[in-house]
Amino acid sequence: MGSEKAEIRPEELEAFLDEALPAPRMREIEEALRRDRNLAEQLRAIIQRRDLGLVSIAEVWRRQRLSCPSRDTLGAYLLGALPPDEARFVRIHLERIGCRYCLANLADLQSRMEATQEQKEAAQRRCQRYFRSSLHHLTHSAEP
Amino acid sequence: MVNRPEQSEQVFIERIRAKDPVAWEQLIATYEGRLLAFLEPRVADRAAAEDLVQETFTGFLRSLPHFDESRSLEKWLFAIAANKLKDHLRRERHVQSLVVSNDEQEAPQIPVVAGARGPSTILDSRERRIKREALLLSILAEEVERIRRDEGWTKLACLELLFVGGYRNKEVAELLGISEQQVANWKHDFQSRLKRHLDAAKENGITF
Repeated sequence: MGSEKAEIRPEELEAFLDEALPAPRMREIEEALRRDRNLAEQLRAIIQRRDLGLVSIAEVWRRQRLSCPSRDTLGAYLLGALPPDEARFVRIHLERIGCRYCLANLADLQSRMEATQEQKEAAQRRCQRYFRSSLHHLTHSAEP
Repeated sequence: MVNRPEQSEQVFIERIRAKDPVAWEQLIATYEGRLLAFLEPRVADRAAAEDLVQETFTGFLRSLPHFDESRSLEKWLFAIAANKLKDHLRRERHVQSLVVSNDEQEAPQIPVVAGARGPSTILDSRERRIKREALLLSILAEEVERIRRDEGWTKLACLELLFVGGYRNKEVAELLGISEQQVANWKHDFQSRLKRHLDAAKENGITF
């Protein structure tokens, strides 16, 4: 998202509503909404527009992840193995579009690459906990 | 691009629908890290983030009877996680006051739905919205795939910055090291193509 803090674009407000921006930018927008009535009005207008059944390009493109790189591509990006043009596209997608889904994938890939044995075991324990506590739902809720 | 589900995802779904605990365990191991990375930066502590991951997985199982296999599993999981997170934030902290507070001194009121409209009107709007989104999605997906395949990463980055990021032509030109005229040409070309698609949809009776 760069380091600039000033301008909040309408497209970002759309993404804000969908919880789709990086956490620091989400917080900046939350703070701005508290002090800036015009911005709050813009947000209200977007909500009302959605409520009337209208959709925007920004909203659909981001929510449907039309240009998100695959996880394999993100892995290659981490390893510096992408051709320059594609690597620049991915960097812009992450840093300027601020795709939260791809940033989460990238963070996960990075942490798996760099995980210590202790961290791997902690992840396994988490997964076991999720598994045990959801098993009941698997056996009772999975019928089509 | 992750718009299409991978075959391995469809296999996961089939096995989980058959209540295969091994498949369920594998799904958890595959997706928990990225879900945690998505949720953790937005909540106060690690335990709360892990609880939300847990809720996402159980929410997924509850929604499984309605899951359309042509959709991306990862996208579905992130959508559930985002909804769980929004509920959590609404309960826990300031987003509550931002989105639903009646205290105008504290924060402007931003209604979630228009209060004067009845349930049937809202349902109508929701159905129209789903249809419009499906139409726009099909048009955009076709165009994005064509650009990626035939016209390259710079044009795709340009259009993403313009239409998703909301950047101005001049900013996009600077970021990509191309002329403003080039940005304007690509923008115009993309808008024209979208308009042709939408006009064709209208001729086929689909209003947008």
